[in-house]
Amino acid sequence: MFGLRQAIKKIFWGKKQKSPNPEESPDDAIRSRFKTKYWNFKSFLSINSAILEIMSEMELALRGDHRFGMEFIRAHCTSISVSIYQLIEKINEISGRRYEKLYYALADIQYKINQILEEREKSIEGKPVLSIKEINKDSANHTGSKMANLGEIVNLTDLNVPHGFVITASAYHLFLNHGDLQKNINQQLQSVDIEDIKMLGMASSNIQKLIMQSPIHPELEGAILDGYRRLEEKTEKDVKVSMRSSALGEDSQESSFAGQYHTELNVSYNTLIHSYKKVLAGKYSLQAITYRFNKGFRDEDIVMCVGCMAMVEAVSSGVMYSKDPGDIHNNQIFINAVLGLGKSAVEGSISPDLFVASREPTIKILKKEIHVKDQGILTFSNKELHTVELPEPEKYAPAITDIQAQFLAKQAVILENHFKTPQDIEWAIEKEGLVRILQSRPLKQVRKEDNEFKDTLAIKVNNHTILNGGVAASPGVACGPAFIVNSAEEIYKFPEGAVLVTKNSLPQWTTILNRAVAVVTDRGGIAGHLATVTREFGIPALFDTLAATDRIKNGTIITVDTYARKVYEGKAEALLRESPAGGISRIKGSPVYITLKRTLKHITPLNLTDPKGDDFTPDGCQTYHDITRFCHEKAVKEMFDSGKNSRGISAGKRLIINDVPAQWWIVDLGDGLKGSMEKDTVRLANIASAPMMALWEGMTAVEWDGPPPVDTRGFISIMVESTMNRDLCASSQSSYTQNDCAIISKNFCNLSCRFGYHYSVVQTFVSDKSGENYIKFYFKGGAADHNRKFRRMKLIKDILVKYDFQVEIYEDYMNATIAAYDQFSTLKRLKALGYLTMHTRQLDMIMGNPAKTAYYKKKFLKDISLWFPQAGE
Amino acid sequence: MKAKILIVDDEEKFVNSLAERLSIRDYDATTSVSGQDAIEKVSGYNFDVVMLDVVMPGMDGLEVLREIKRIKPLTEVIMLTALPNVEIGVEAMKRGALDYILKPCEIEELISKIDRGHARKTEQEERISAAEVSGRCYNGV
Repeated sequence: MFGLRQAIKKIFWGKKQKSPNPEESPDDAIRSRFKTKYWNFKSFLSINSAILEIMSEMELALRGDHRFGMEFIRAHCTSISVSIYQLIEKINEISGRRYEKLYYALADIQYKINQILEEREKSIEGKPVLSIKEINKDSANHTGSKMANLGEIVNLTDLNVPHGFVITASAYHLFLNHGDLQKNINQQLQSVDIEDIKMLGMASSNIQKLIMQSPIHPELEGAILDGYRRLEEKTEKDVKVSMRSSALGEDSQESSFAGQYHTELNVSYNTLIHSYKKVLAGKYSLQAITYRFNKGFRDEDIVMCVGCMAMVEAVSSGVMYSKDPGDIHNNQIFINAVLGLGKSAVEGSISPDLFVASREPTIKILKKEIHVKDQGILTFSNKELHTVELPEPEKYAPAITDIQAQFLAKQAVILENHFKTPQDIEWAIEKEGLVRILQSRPLKQVRKEDNEFKDTLAIKVNNHTILNGGVAASPGVACGPAFIVNSAEEIYKFPEGAVLVTKNSLPQWTTILNRAVAVVTDRGGIAGHLATVTREFGIPALFDTLAATDRIKNGTIITVDTYARKVYEGKAEALLRESPAGGISRIKGSPVYITLKRTLKHITPLNLTDPKGDDFTPDGCQTYHDITRFCHEKAVKEMFDSGKNSRGISAGKRLIINDVPAQWWIVDLGDGLKGSMEKDTVRLANIASAPMMALWEGMTAVEWDGPPPVDTRGFISIMVESTMNRDLCASSQSSYTQNDCAIISKNFCNLSCRFGYHYSVVQTFVSDKSGENYIKFYFKGGAADHNRKFRRMKLIKDILVKYDFQVEIYEDYMNATIAAYDQFSTLKRLKALGYLTMHTRQLDMIMGNPAKTAYYKKKFLKDISLWFPQAGE
Repeated sequence: MKAKILIVDDEEKFVNSLAERLSIRDYDATTSVSGQDAIEKVSGYNFDVVMLDVVMPGMDGLEVLREIKRIKPLTEVIMLTALPNVEIGVEAMKRGALDYILKPCEIEELISKIDRGHARKTEQEERISAAEVSGRCYNGV
């Protein structure tokens, strides 16, 4: 490709050199070349600012205030890499391919970034199926922690766990890598805007379909069926099993993944494989995808292992916490119990009975809350699932006896002691009274500091109370419009910032939690999955209010106060003022966050700070920021040098001031002039270049009041002197070295001036994109002796430094630069520069006199302060 | 002059809707749903800008890009894809793509890139034809 472009370029320049057009002068060629260079430079600047913008978006994400996914990082890394490539192309076009080494720097950095983005969990070696007897806590990265913990309990405690086996991480990889499944899934995910819940819903169902239709590797199928046969030997023929996820990375204190995945009950030999796929597909349910996104997990962080356990004929079951999830200092044990299978307890469709037990000195039941069991009870018996209605008197009995509650509490303590951390335990009690542990995982406790019980009852609230009562599933106060959700379809309509009001505390509502400010439900307990996730997300939740969907009107503004267990009409200002803002940043420290941080190490740090340093080379570029900085410096220099060389251009239009042609030539690069004008002349009113006008304003704002100029001609006369020099016209060769020239566009100005013995160049680009703005100023000469010259330069430097320019003085010339200031500030500084170039040119004679020098310095500063009304600006 | 655009993507719905949106804005838009077909269309017609997907069954976007640049070096190619991949993005640029844009993308952004591509192609064509004229003059033809 380079070859081709070069060829075209050669043809292009070749044409200019041996122009067949007799009307085209060498001037036109220089101008045309500069014009091309300038437009390249301009697109260089816009790529440059695009890069800086991508960088700042990435840095902003790193602050962790907003959620983002791997797709955000991948897309930004891709865009910035592509833009860096374009930037390198441009600098090479501008410089005549002088910086091709930069491609190596890009390749190097790009490789490192790609390594981070594409790293995948190494495919795990090991058996695809393991019996629960074969595993323990240390198997977690092969079986998922849920099953690993159960293996640990089976093998190292006296507690009972159902027989079973686990389909491992290597099985998962075997399944996904069979055919193009993983690739197809990635493709589905990549094109989705994760905040667009409708689109996400479509991708979710497409992926789940893909998984369900995907053939299973024969070896894996054999292993699973074999595992089932062995389970039959240990239990009974045709044993029914439950299949539930035991994902890698699923259970930790920070992220419970509570209820995010699919569980299959009552699975037989014939439906094993189908159910296995269904559990795997659960990784891509809408709620699971959103949960991962909200918590900053990458798709590849979750490896689905599946636990298969013999079904338990549970009389009652539930969830217990070995400590209070709402208070880290509370040692009491919390037991939630329902009749039949525990599914309804964790799914929040039934309000479970609550037992609170003390742990010391003896385990004793302190508190009981028994609910009416007026809903169907899900049971498993004779290898079938049934829903049964209770006869009237039994509806009021507790789900478990006090003795059973005490026994459960004991087991909770044993488990906590064994795992050395508070536990969240699922249990079931069989007909004969045998307690089975179905799951045990670390409990997420809300820190008391965050959950300082607010005595909100003391705050006077004038708002009407709509609801009073219920359980505080997650603490806090929040306000927003109520949105009642009755069905899964309504998830899509849920507006940002609303209060979720719903009948049952179902896990599927977790999909909405990133948009909800609070949750109020009719039914459900603090042990449900939804409760766990609201606590994790720091969203206030009031459950079990019994009448929320009846009493709260859709769309009305309500305030939820879980401390007082009340819902108020309208915005309860006093209450909201007293309560800390809810919502916790979930993204910091997550795998996605860490990935962003790692990639940014190769993108944003700036090592090349000194353009004169030894490492200011393509080889010295360690990050994208370095490349950008290097290219910018070189591009500006290229333009600047070209500007210096092209001061001889006379192909421009002559500037007319007060009807008198001045010794100024204006070269328009495309959009620097406006209005109607003569062919060869231009008036101030025609100039559309903001930086040129700023310089002009600076030059002419204050009349020269110093000692009589050396040449005794008046202030304006110098600029208008060309009236006396009619020979200095465009056709004369002498004009190539004498006149002053402004090469302009709307945002750009390269102005070279020669007044007497002084020579100066100002080059600047000013637009509303601060990142592109810069001023570069070069000043040389003067007819005076060395000391005077130096003193004058020192004077200019002192003034420029005051206005934030970076200034360097060499033998007999100086360079000053300033970059990335906003439009307004840059234009003000151009005015100051214009002023200085005009007013310092005649100072040679007074530079020998320190008192006078000080006087003029003071005067200059005073005059310039005209444009800087605020001191210190 | 109307810019002549070819949109290549294996998703038929996508190419049709994009072609329609471009036609409304007075572009001359043609569609293609496979790499092979795109190459045939490119060799038979002087497109200004090709919008090219990366992941396609059969010939993938990078191969198609290479082929287009071989047969019609001046035709500008903009990659338009849902695949955010650093390596592939840079590789496409190396093979001469004008840009690498990620879906979903605002139509305005797309239009401004198409216009840029069109302008660039026109400019290069003018340079070459000018060079041919001057070459003939210089050689005394």
